[in-house]
Amino acid sequence: MMKHIKYLFLTFIFIFIQSQIIQLISLEGITPDILIIWIAYIAVKNGQLYATVWGFIIGLIFDLSIGSFIGISALSKTVAGFTAGYFFRDNKSVILLTSYRFLIIVLISSLISNTIYFLIFTRGSEIDLLHVIFLIGFTTSIYTTAFSILLMFSFSRRYSKLHV
Amino acid sequence: MQRFVNIILWFKEYLVFALLLIFSLILLNSNDNVQIKAIRSYTIGMIGSIQNALAIIPNIFEIKRENETLRQLNVNLSDEVNRLREARLENIRLRSMLGLKDKSDFKLLTADIIGKNLHLLNNTITLNVGENNGVRNNMPIISEMGLVGKIIATSKHYSIGQLMLSKDFRASAKIQRNRIDGIIVWNKGSNVELKNIVKTQEVRIGDVVLTSEYSSIFPPNIKIGTVYNVSEQPGSLFKQIEVTPSVDFTMLEQVFIVIAVQDTERVNLEKKLVRQKK
Repeated sequence: MMKHIKYLFLTFIFIFIQSQIIQLISLEGITPDILIIWIAYIAVKNGQLYATVWGFIIGLIFDLSIGSFIGISALSKTVAGFTAGYFFRDNKSVILLTSYRFLIIVLISSLISNTIYFLIFTRGSEIDLLHVIFLIGFTTSIYTTAFSILLMFSFSRRYSKLHV
Repeated sequence: MQRFVNIILWFKEYLVFALLLIFSLILLNSNDNVQIKAIRSYTIGMIGSIQNALAIIPNIFEIKRENETLRQLNVNLSDEVNRLREARLENIRLRSMLGLKDKSDFKLLTADIIGKNLHLLNNTITLNVGENNGVRNNMPIISEMGLVGKIIATSKHYSIGQLMLSKDFRASAKIQRNRIDGIIVWNKGSNVELKNIVKTQEVRIGDVVLTSEYSSIFPPNIKIGTVYNVSEQPGSLFKQIEVTPSVDFTMLEQVFIVIAVQDTERVNLEKKLVRQKK
């Protein structure tokens, strides 16, 4: 129970950072999606079922907080959680979090999440879907993955200290 | 029975995934639902309160940049005020000659921007005024520099404005010089496009674009921007006209909401006609 409360509290903090602060490190309007990194972390630590449910909760709270279409982030983040959960291995979360595999999980989840998001978002508009997916979706995923390198190194440091 | 339970347990990840997908799709299709709107309104109020509380923290870099821009704007406005005074005197004289009544100004409500969500395709601002101040959906948002956007969601004390740079934004517009009409649509970057202008019509770089009289949302003659590129694609009947908005959306701190109630009779009549055509 305490774990869920902790996750919910962290979710609110990450959503606040994503919607209000992350713009400070935007490059040409592209910002890293820290919610995807958070979902990937939950997936690696707890497995596919947790990641899917938390992906939905995180997406739904994010939709409500930015006043966007309700359900769009919930859907894309649910799929991201389900995808990231595929990489879960029992008792191997430390290995996953401290290696390049964590970056691959973030990259794949982010690409799938962004593709689904823009697939729905551009529906009925004149915006070219492929253009948006490549211009925004792909670059956002790359930036998110690059951002998660910092986390990977911090996990690596933390766990190596614990083992010394 | 035990076998059925085992199957469910075996596929629980897939079942939960499918259920959440279905639930998300239901939510997506219920955005116009009254309950969803109420939840949205409540969360806007809650998030608005947090943003309002955080708005007291000053951003030194923003203040410095804003100060420079305001000085520049002040010089430009002083110059424009002088010219407008002259124009108004001339206008009064001409109106009295023609026997025209002076058009009444719109009622404007000042609002502070307490949050900006610049999410590339979905750019919105959170304002510190809401339903209690008379703000309703679809009310136009303007600044001293021109058109900003429109209100898309409200709570009692806060509202969310959709910027012109959003994929769902549309506005009837006209070229000031020759009154050619078109539709303003965002082109995904920092500019907008003036659509539906046929190749035979003349549009020049530097032409000023204003809101037109055909919009049921925006009052006419609000500056939208300036034409900066005109091109023609082979195989298309229309020109491609790129317009630079007169408003710098990154610098916006305060806006005005035009407190104007939509002409429902006109909107209903137009909707009825569209339904009949279908």
